[in-house]
Amino acid sequence: MEAPTISNELRNLFSLVLFPGGCFLILLGLSYEWVDRKLLARFQNRIGPRWFQPLADTLKLLAKEEVVPENVDLRLFVGLPIVALTGALTAGLYVPILGVKTAFSFSGDLIVTLYMLSLLTLCMGLAGANTLDRFSLIGATRTLTQLFSYESPFLLALLGPALFSSNWQISEIAASAGGRWLLLTQPIGFLVAIIALMGKLELPPFDAPEAETEIVAGALTEYSGRGLALFRLGKGVELVVGLTLISVLYLGGIADPLTFLIKTMALLFIIVVLQALLTRLRIDQTVGLWWRYGALLVLLQWFVIILL
Amino acid sequence: MRLAAMIGDIASAFIHHPITERYPFECREAPGRLRGMLHWEPENCIGCGLCAKDCPAAAIELIVLDKKAKRFVVRYHPGRCVFCAQCVFSCRQECLSMSNTEWELAVTQKAELIRHYGDKEDVEEVLAGNFVPDSF
Amino acid sequence: MEKQTTTHSFIVPIGPQHPALKEPSHFRIAVDGEIVTGASVRLGYAHRGIEKATESRTWIQNLYLLERICGICSHIHGMAYCLAVERLAQVDVPARAQAIRVLFAELERIHSHLLWLGVAAHEAGFDTLFMYSWRDRETVMDILEQLSGNRVNYSANVLGGVKFDVDQLCIESILTGIDFLEERTQYYLKVVSTDALFLQRTRGIGTMSRRQAEVLGTVGPTARASGVDRDIRIEAPYAAYNQFPIQLTLDDKGDLEARVLVRLRELFESYRVIRQILSDLPPGDLTVRMPRRIQQGETVLRVEAPRGELFYFVRSNGSDMPERIKVRTPTICNLLSVVKLAVGHQLADVPMILVGIDPCFSCNDRTVIVDRANETSRQWSWKELRQYGSTYYQQRAT
Repeated sequence: MEAPTISNELRNLFSLVLFPGGCFLILLGLSYEWVDRKLLARFQNRIGPRWFQPLADTLKLLAKEEVVPENVDLRLFVGLPIVALTGALTAGLYVPILGVKTAFSFSGDLIVTLYMLSLLTLCMGLAGANTLDRFSLIGATRTLTQLFSYESPFLLALLGPALFSSNWQISEIAASAGGRWLLLTQPIGFLVAIIALMGKLELPPFDAPEAETEIVAGALTEYSGRGLALFRLGKGVELVVGLTLISVLYLGGIADPLTFLIKTMALLFIIVVLQALLTRLRIDQTVGLWWRYGALLVLLQWFVIILL
Repeated sequence: MRLAAMIGDIASAFIHHPITERYPFECREAPGRLRGMLHWEPENCIGCGLCAKDCPAAAIELIVLDKKAKRFVVRYHPGRCVFCAQCVFSCRQECLSMSNTEWELAVTQKAELIRHYGDKEDVEEVLAGNFVPDSF
Repeated sequence: MEKQTTTHSFIVPIGPQHPALKEPSHFRIAVDGEIVTGASVRLGYAHRGIEKATESRTWIQNLYLLERICGICSHIHGMAYCLAVERLAQVDVPARAQAIRVLFAELERIHSHLLWLGVAAHEAGFDTLFMYSWRDRETVMDILEQLSGNRVNYSANVLGGVKFDVDQLCIESILTGIDFLEERTQYYLKVVSTDALFLQRTRGIGTMSRRQAEVLGTVGPTARASGVDRDIRIEAPYAAYNQFPIQLTLDDKGDLEARVLVRLRELFESYRVIRQILSDLPPGDLTVRMPRRIQQGETVLRVEAPRGELFYFVRSNGSDMPERIKVRTPTICNLLSVVKLAVGHQLADVPMILVGIDPCFSCNDRTVIVDRANETSRQWSWKELRQYGSTYYQQRAT
């Protein structure tokens, strides 16, 4: 760590709040959400939204009245969206957003990033359990069940590269790979990581927790206005951070903005293709899938890494 | 059993344009039989009133000013009309027709939801209100 | 039927406002975790008093009122009414008009089944199939617009015949459209029977044996998917079905996959019949003169709507307004099967089972009083209903 001087602190504050963390990360999350929706629409032979649609959605939500249901714990109701967004933004501090080497990395920040990403899902589950609404309760149960099922394969898949380079710091893992693509040597881990990321983000086919046609909006049914806007922003940020994490660990690190865009967009493309192709899985089918195939695959990958 | 049965469509999605029509910037031509705004020509009308009797929505009224001199005025309510074309079918003299170009019928003033058809003097007489209504 | 107990468990209300339903109705699903332990249904949210309204409109006006009972089955309602009234008036409709009526009915069946396929895919979470099948549905709607001038509520029927003729240009565009749709239907048949994840949502879900289907009184493709071999177009042919017969489409597995397959296979029958009609269209007039006052009598008519057996009872007392029209739509027969079958499945399967019967709630609201104590049932008159309503609200205000 450098000696704390005024200009260092100011620089840290700038990168924390404005660029590349904070506001910039939120805007980046909105643009990735736009790319996701636009690509999905094009695959379905539709036009899709214009570039400012996610921004317009967020502004509209912030302008609407927030309806607080009866019998909720008010502090939890108001605080959970804030904690969720904070967790997602904090996770973004340790990954090289837009190729800018992060100033906050420390040894072991891989674990911190992963836990911050899970914090968002936990907050959504708690938010659903907070109310008396049937749909929210079922949605919260499903969110937490899904969290328990994909979380261990996801963690193990992302820790595979860490095992390979015997280091827990993201920037060090990327550096020790030396520009080589770990995708080629650990393909199973990459596959599990991508699909588990879809589970974490609750994208189809893993969107049982917010299945629109069964439980309205799942855990977030009772949210409106500002709370919903913050949750959605958190999800957008989570998308960016998740994609960056996988491309740093498996696709040979990120050196400059152009590489960042190309690699993360390629991963997003794969994710959108899978979204368009697959039907929603029931929650018991999701759990069965992950505990049968996901866990076995990633354990197989670990054996391969340890043996070689 | 395959895992991704719709891959053919998705792959070809980049070759075909989106099917969505960018209305109102691109507007397809309406088919010839489209049932749009109703129009009435007074020349052949004999005043039988079947159009008004058969209308399921009471959207068309035949106002008889002088049956012998064949002076009629038709008051039409586009807001009530269900565009079934029964009046067109019932009229044996073929006075009624439904336009296939005038189909964007949303209005902002309630006054536009009453239309009078007929010869100019007859319509003015009806609007001035000095006649004894003999409408169906 | 034994009473459904849904009082002491965790109840998930599906409806009256719910993204799974296209029209309002109320299903109270009692769940234990994710497993459904009981279900019951309440209807009446879309009751509009149409049967009562027909008694104060003339025969001609009623045609358009009854056509608007349902948006997707509008032509078949109009056709059933016209056939019933023409039978009462003992009028013979020309063959060309009957053939054109059957043409519209089969086109409407294609429209309805393609729409249903999209809705079923949407309920399963398969949005891509939803978008593509609705894109192809636009083809049949364009054909219907070219033929009649409107995309829904075609108003092709009049008492005594049809309003619109089919000329050479229409025939060509119909045949082109049908060729395209047949190719796409082959593709969708392949998708729904081979896509592994979609099969996981439909195979083995909501299985109904043939005996159960007969006891519960299901009709239409829902029953035919369980092996019940009934189709009104074959048992009691009406309009031009004598001249252009239909082959039965059956499946014996009785689960959701069977219902999807039966509906898609029925589409091929419709394409075949439409091509046959267009090549053998009988010449002649389009309408025949109908009296304005229909002679006294009563008649019963059944037709095959896209959802099943549609039943019309028409009674006339010699004047120019009907005395009583009763409409029994197919969804009300199939609804009990949902309540019975949902028990034991997961909550996520309930919207799929519901969409498997192709529900159309606008058609099926009635008011019948069932007096459990005295084990009778009777119907309320208008006066009794109004009296009850005013008393209820007066009591609520105090």
